[in-house]
Amino acid sequence: MLFFKRGRVPGARSWELKTGLGKGYTKVLEQLDESLKDLDLEVKKVEPQTLSDYKPGPDDGEEESRYFVRLKGTLAPKEARLCGWRIDNLAALAAALALVVSKQGRSERKELETIIGNKAGRWRALTLMDTFLRSGYLEEDEEGLVKLGWRTRAELDLPSLMMLLAESKAPSAESSEPVEDDQASIEG
Amino acid sequence: MTEKVRRLSGRRELEELIQTCISIENRRFNPFLLDITEALRIIRRHSNQLRTLDDHLLDMRAITSVARVVGLQSANLRFQSSALFVDPSMVQQKLDSLSREQMAEFLLLSWHPIVELEQLTLASTKEAKEFWERMLSFFERRKRLHLGPFVSPDAADFEELARMHVVEEKAYTRKMQDLWKELKESAEKDERVDYWNFIRGSDFAATIARAQLVSFLVTYGYANLQRKGNSMFLVPKARPDPHPEGSPLSFPIPITKEVLIRAK
Repeated sequence: MLFFKRGRVPGARSWELKTGLGKGYTKVLEQLDESLKDLDLEVKKVEPQTLSDYKPGPDDGEEESRYFVRLKGTLAPKEARLCGWRIDNLAALAAALALVVSKQGRSERKELETIIGNKAGRWRALTLMDTFLRSGYLEEDEEGLVKLGWRTRAELDLPSLMMLLAESKAPSAESSEPVEDDQASIEG
Repeated sequence: MTEKVRRLSGRRELEELIQTCISIENRRFNPFLLDITEALRIIRRHSNQLRTLDDHLLDMRAITSVARVVGLQSANLRFQSSALFVDPSMVQQKLDSLSREQMAEFLLLSWHPIVELEQLTLASTKEAKEFWERMLSFFERRKRLHLGPFVSPDAADFEELARMHVVEEKAYTRKMQDLWKELKESAEKDERVDYWNFIRGSDFAATIARAQLVSFLVTYGYANLQRKGNSMFLVPKARPDPHPEGSPLSFPIPITKEVLIRAK
């Protein structure tokens, strides 16, 4: 139930697990988490909208939580490339998430496109934004503002990302030049 | 009169206040830019001038807008006290100065991708098979929808397909031949014809279609395009004279509605 994708979003909701495994499903998940450790995987519980709206806890209770299986450790750049991710795309996602988080979970799409455009090129920024929205890293609300999506809540350790960013130092000038349009790599 | 002016200026102040609140909600300004005490003072000052339903509604909108900004201020404080707080301008500065490699590395260090598999399982295959076997035939299901008698698929002739724009009425080569003939007839007197006059059709779309066909006539050697000053002329050839090695010159002609009006 946790591994297989049913529909657009992977993982399973608490009520689905409860129906399938019974009331003690959390115990089963704990055991599964233990077993997955050897494979460098873990069971991740995601509360609905906790990060986007900065609520202290879920209002909807346990029933709406979603469980995923995710990588416990992290990927090396080479491994990420093997999964189909380009450096440009990763950098653009980092920039978009950092900006949205710094703006308390909501930001204007245009602003995000400008920031991504500085790193990946203007035209690429438009496609990347669509990709991030489609894959669930970002979501667009009814007012047209962009917020963090379900996948970000499931996959990203945002405090760590923000900490790394805050502590970072700029590299030498030649490696930090902005990219000209269409110069960035093209792969989604 | 003074009362009316006071009411109007009160309404304007409330509308401005609401606009400011909306801008804050849309993340254009920091929520702390709005002085809540001052905002409430404005609302209170105009509260005794509320006469019509519209006035009361405006007052209510102003109060709810200010309340939402207070909510945002509270969220902002909660956010600032959390581990995620970084000043947006500082983040922008950092993002501008960092290289793509550095940013990608930061993301990778904080990223734990979900494991997701897309494949058939024995259980889902069994379920699908059972569904297929239990499913009623097309005609049985159709009966339930009460759609009336079933009309069998019918054959459509060429004219009908052309009417539906599924197929072209005339093949492209045939269209070119016809246009070449038309060009020859138009140029009988002067041996040439003005380009803009010739391509003009009944509407803009028809003009573009004719211009495209003319470009093929020239490319395939059915006609020549001559330029004299600002004018362009088409000279038909008696026999097509194609250039097997390709046209020696490519000459783009932009066609806009303005150009067509000027050429009239």
